[in-house]
Amino acid sequence: MAVKLVTIKEDILKDNKEMSALLKARFNKSKTLVVNLMSSPGAGKTSTILNTIEALGPAVKTAVIEGDITSTVDADKMDAKGIPVVQINTGGACHIDSAMVAEAVADFDTEGIDLVVVENVGNLVCPAEFEVGEDVRVMILSVPEGHDKPQKYPLMFIETQACILNKIDLLPHTDFDMEAFRKTVMSLNPKTTIFPVSMKTGEGLDAWAAWLKDKVDKKKNG
Amino acid sequence: MHELSLAQSVLEIALEYAEKNNAARVDRLVLSFGRMSCIQPDALETAFEAMARGTRAEGAVLSFEITPVVISCLTCQKEYDIDYQGILSCPSCGDPSVLLVGGTEDLKLIEMEVEQKE
Ligand SMILES: Nc1nc2c(ncn2[C@@H]2O[C@H](COP(=O)(O)OP(=O)(O)OP(=O)(O)O)[C@@H](O)[C@H]2O)c(=O)[nH]1
Ligand SMILES: [Mg+2]
Ligand SMILES: [Zn+2]
Ligand SMILES: [Zn+2]
Repeated sequence: MAVKLVTIKEDILKDNKEMSALLKARFNKSKTLVVNLMSSPGAGKTSTILNTIEALGPAVKTAVIEGDITSTVDADKMDAKGIPVVQINTGGACHIDSAMVAEAVADFDTEGIDLVVVENVGNLVCPAEFEVGEDVRVMILSVPEGHDKPQKYPLMFIETQACILNKIDLLPHTDFDMEAFRKTVMSLNPKTTIFPVSMKTGEGLDAWAAWLKDKVDKKKNG
Repeated sequence: MHELSLAQSVLEIALEYAEKNNAARVDRLVLSFGRMSCIQPDALETAFEAMARGTRAEGAVLSFEITPVVISCLTCQKEYDIDYQGILSCPSCGDPSVLLVGGTEDLKLIEMEVEQKE
């Protein structure tokens, strides 16, 4: 039999990228800013969402998409505060993809919604590689995880536009080296913005909320 | 982690091209990705092997071209392939003001070797 070399050059993630583009078009129509929020388990995604919504106030209409692997614990927390929330069934997946988001928002009217925050699955590795129709990608690192995480998981730091450093109230109890952290993050991604915050004490929350508000306004008016 | 779904996409694309090219068997697939992507070739191979069973791509060998981490130094005005060890800086002048220009490429199926039907 004749052996033949076939040239392909296809992106393995192209289906996800196409679906992401469709989602983007839909969210652009309703002028809704979409944030993909990623971090390791327990770094503070849910706390950040709750505090941010409170800081932004009722003028910014926000909805949340929750990507817990199995439970509805985080979605219930949003629900209890009267925040519109859609739960994604990830079926044990280690990241959210665009198809999951498309399915989740199929019956969800985003008209009049200014901001949608997608809480990704707790995982610092692979969510960075899967678009979910977002305008902005934000990651959270928490102080107890250590200042060397950017070295171990560079992609997440490279692929995001903001890095929230949460749990700074714990700084006195750890050997977290802020200078080393900043240096590594900025070397990986000179365009990112680092927001040191504590979702427990509220320190730093305003700066982060203002950054986000600016993006929401630009999307709404632009 | 999600190598199962990646393997599924690789297989789908491979079989699509096998059909188009009148191939009886797929012998080898060449994939590429950037050094900084979070892809584990071993896990991908295992998943692919299991999924390809009973298809034209059964037993196909996967080879990987891993593209290097490339930085562009603003001081030297040159690009370098580097061995990433946690901090990005210029291997020549040591300046940390460098831009990452390569190494985060997504997984791609570049080419494959097939045996054509008579
Ligand atoms: N000390 C301290 N604890 C915090 C802070 N922010 C969050 N926590 C606590 O950290 C734990 C995890 O916070 P969550 O907001 O649930 O984190 P998450 O990233 O949503 O977690 P998963 O969804 O399970 O991945 C909770 O017990 C929070 O109370 C902080 O700034 N300081
Ligand atoms: Mg949570
Ligand atoms: Zn994954
Ligand atoms: Zn240099």
